[in-house]
Amino acid sequence: MLNNSVESEKKMAEVETALNSDGPIIQAKDVSVFYGEKQALFDVNLDFEKNQVTSLIGPSGCGKSTFLRCINRMNDLVDIARVKGEIIIANQDIYAKDVDVVALRAHVGMVFQKPNPFPKSIYDNVAYGPRIHKTVSTKDEMDYVVERSLKRAGLWDEVSDRLDQPGNGLSGGQQQRLCIARAIAIEPQVVLMDEPCSALDPIATAVVEELIDELRERFTIIIVTHSMQQAARVSQKTAFFHLGNLVEHGDTDQIFTNPQDDRTENYITGRIG
Amino acid sequence: MTNPFSTEAAGLQGRHNAETIFKLSGLTAIVCAIGFLVFMVGSIAWTGSGALRESHVQLSIDLGPEKVDPSNVEAASYQTIVRDALKERFPEVTNRRDRRKLYGLLSPDAALELEQYVLDNPSVVGGVADIWLLASDDLDIYLKGDVKTELDESRRKFSDLEIGLADSLVQEGQTRRQFNTRFFTNGDSREPELAGILSSLIGSFFSLLVCFVISFPMGVCAAIYLEEFAKKNRVSEFIEVNINNLAAVPSIVFGLLGLAIFLNFFGLPRSSPLVGGMVLALMTLPTIIIASRAALRAVPPSIREAALGIGASKIQTTFHHVAPLALPGMLTGAIVGMARALGETAPLLMIGMVAFIADVPKGILDSATALPVQIFLWADAPQRAFEEKTSAAIIVLLLFLVLMNLLAVLLRRKFERRF
Amino acid sequence: MSDFQSKFAVGVNPFARQSKGFGNAAIMFVLIACSCVAILVTVGIVMSLIFETIRFFEQVPILDFLFGTHWSPQTALTADVVGSSGAFGAVPLITGTLLISFIAMCIATPLGLASAVYLAEFAGPKVRSFAKPLLEMLAGIPSVVYGFFAALTIAPFIRNSGSAAGFDISSESALAAGIAMGIMVVPLVSSLSDDVINSVPQSLRDASLGLGATHAETVRKVVLPAAVPGIAGSLLLATSSAIGETMIVVMAAGLAANLTLNPFEAVTTVTVQIVTLLTGDQEFDSAKTLSAFALGLFLFVITLALNVIALKIVNHFKEQYD
Repeated sequence: MLNNSVESEKKMAEVETALNSDGPIIQAKDVSVFYGEKQALFDVNLDFEKNQVTSLIGPSGCGKSTFLRCINRMNDLVDIARVKGEIIIANQDIYAKDVDVVALRAHVGMVFQKPNPFPKSIYDNVAYGPRIHKTVSTKDEMDYVVERSLKRAGLWDEVSDRLDQPGNGLSGGQQQRLCIARAIAIEPQVVLMDEPCSALDPIATAVVEELIDELRERFTIIIVTHSMQQAARVSQKTAFFHLGNLVEHGDTDQIFTNPQDDRTENYITGRIG
Repeated sequence: MTNPFSTEAAGLQGRHNAETIFKLSGLTAIVCAIGFLVFMVGSIAWTGSGALRESHVQLSIDLGPEKVDPSNVEAASYQTIVRDALKERFPEVTNRRDRRKLYGLLSPDAALELEQYVLDNPSVVGGVADIWLLASDDLDIYLKGDVKTELDESRRKFSDLEIGLADSLVQEGQTRRQFNTRFFTNGDSREPELAGILSSLIGSFFSLLVCFVISFPMGVCAAIYLEEFAKKNRVSEFIEVNINNLAAVPSIVFGLLGLAIFLNFFGLPRSSPLVGGMVLALMTLPTIIIASRAALRAVPPSIREAALGIGASKIQTTFHHVAPLALPGMLTGAIVGMARALGETAPLLMIGMVAFIADVPKGILDSATALPVQIFLWADAPQRAFEEKTSAAIIVLLLFLVLMNLLAVLLRRKFERRF
Repeated sequence: MSDFQSKFAVGVNPFARQSKGFGNAAIMFVLIACSCVAILVTVGIVMSLIFETIRFFEQVPILDFLFGTHWSPQTALTADVVGSSGAFGAVPLITGTLLISFIAMCIATPLGLASAVYLAEFAGPKVRSFAKPLLEMLAGIPSVVYGFFAALTIAPFIRNSGSAAGFDISSESALAAGIAMGIMVVPLVSSLSDDVINSVPQSLRDASLGLGATHAETVRKVVLPAAVPGIAGSLLLATSSAIGETMIVVMAAGLAANLTLNPFEAVTTVTVQIVTLLTGDQEFDSAKTLSAFALGLFLFVITLALNVIALKIVNHFKEQYD
């Protein structure tokens, strides 16, 4: 068991080195997605920079969530979904035949729209990832990982005295931060967030947004949002999707102040969407 | 550059193996359960198929004037005639005990059958005729090859002598097998080769008839009230809890209820399909109510609103528009309930439908038994030949169940409506 | 306006409630009466069981019944002691019932749960549409068929394999009846658990898979723990139906009221004794006949309690995720 965990830690480190090399951390090349006969995404080409927050915006049904779910292959769960093109992470096309989605998802974590803590204690929620990946072998180490993750998620002060309480007992905003803590406990390089604040009230949203900004130091974050203000507040890069096409991408400031495409302009000024 | 996300690089083989094992164990469980089903039904069907064939023995029977008086054919002792024919066929059997074994090769009904044959074919009287007679159950089993001849004689019922006699009959071509119609046209009998399922089948039919006539209208009315009229209050909630709990009361308790109330309190006739049907009706009621409510719920509110909107009263709306649309669903539920009632045994034992009934019941007040009870009785019978009769009766019961469920499925398909 | 006035006489409410007449009242009466039959049946069951049980306890002390370890109601009346006939200690029957139900659940729980997990999580629509009806057929087969099969095939098989291994196993062992009963309740466990597993929200599966858990790990560590209360409810319902099952035990378990926990021995159950006591001729004032009703009441109370608890648990579970 110990050997195993040392072994897997070594592997994790290898991937980390690969990921830490310079250049874009994720490159999407001609990514198209089909749901049965229907094409939902058309030839998307997009690079993501390390330690930056990239927002994917656009009207509902524009394919931004679909694209996000391609990055850790959550679309595999949909029987009729088919992905064409390449997504390259650490010099590896993640849609290549010999890619193991389990290994991929250990490096590309995900936070969902609705807070979805497991019906377990707060501690067990955070410890879930390290346990299944066996990255942690002793109880002390696990305590440390749980504390570190909760601290990074800004939740430690609120829950440190009741780690054995069920995770569902927390407020909505706390639950979402717990889910973030759970996602970062296995130290992924990339965290995907699918409208993480859409089920939260404004105050909880503000806390989570602040957290996202802090997390940027350690993780590369890609966030789907339907709120342009949120994109403007949290992200350095923004990509605008419309009807399954990537219309425009670039620095957030530039997208919001000086969009190149009419559709982008119409969207951010509220004429479509 | 190796792929950092490959199974090997990430050291995930073990976890994937665990997944495969986990999946396989689920599949194994399903295969086990279904395998048991197939094995059980298959082995019963295999055993039961034997009961569909019966054996006959051909004897040349002397119907000369000294045995049968041509002017009074019925007065002859056919029992003696048959025995004489056997003695003549096997003159070497002389001692009394062996003679009894010899007679035992034929069914006790063989004499009656001979009489019937002679009455139907008066031309045979006065001469010697080769006539086929029904073999006994023991000979039948032997001819089907189900006697373990390698066992010591003391450990089997069919003795060496009988084997010799039987082999001789076979050699002379004096045995034959044919389709057993008796099994479907006779009532119960102490003799396996004569026993049939007709009386119990009719008993089951009468019981189900009573059950349906009582439980269907009652169940539908209750469902209509609860679904369309009842306000959500303590009373309707209490009724609902009652219905749900009744659905899970052990069937034998319904039998106790029938015994204490229908038989002892109201003094209804014991062993009758009437009481059996009433008990089954009470058992089936929750099933029908639950299915009927689901059928009513499936009728969209727009239908009700349309009828109410043009001034129909609530009762008119329900009976003219909603209930007819829900009827196929209700019937489907009723048929499924009936199928379960058909297989029910325990409550019928309580109200005495467990007697030996050879005659076909003529009405719901006659003493009767039911098909599953007949299975229970035969399973308990000591003669080995009843084993295949029991199995065959089970197959008939299962066929009826399959037919009823098929009917329910067809009904559902035919009337399935997408609102 | 004028049109409206001309249609209705002044001073008469045009929308007055019309008399619904006798017909409607009669229809409503019939509907309500039919709904109350369910209550009547429950009352009938309780009354008939309680009255006879009280008469039984007039002859046999209740404590002897509940805690006595000797059951032999067939003993003939001795002329001098009126009303005493044999021993009525129900403990051997209760342990027999529990032993057989326990064996049944030992078979049904793993088989039913594993089937449910496979059908709900891993099976494709084709396998599902094929396997589910077949599994449900197991529940549709009458118990008398299982009883026949248990007595004729399973029991001799156990006996023979026992004697081959040097054990002496009764031909009417608790094991044979328990196995048949276990198979019979598999579909009960599997279809209820299938429901329960399906009602665990997809978002929990997504969360676990998104963290890089395999599907099996997700099921074992997230889905099943979340479904535990519902699964417990389904197991309770299955236990209740195993306790109330009659024909299998009547045909395969035997009559000997042995107080034992050995699955290879013959035991008898509450339901077997009810059948034995009440089939055949009976006088309605003997303790022997009346004891069947006391057993029936016991059975009714136990199964009812199990059902009420199970339904509560399952409903509570489903509300939690609605």
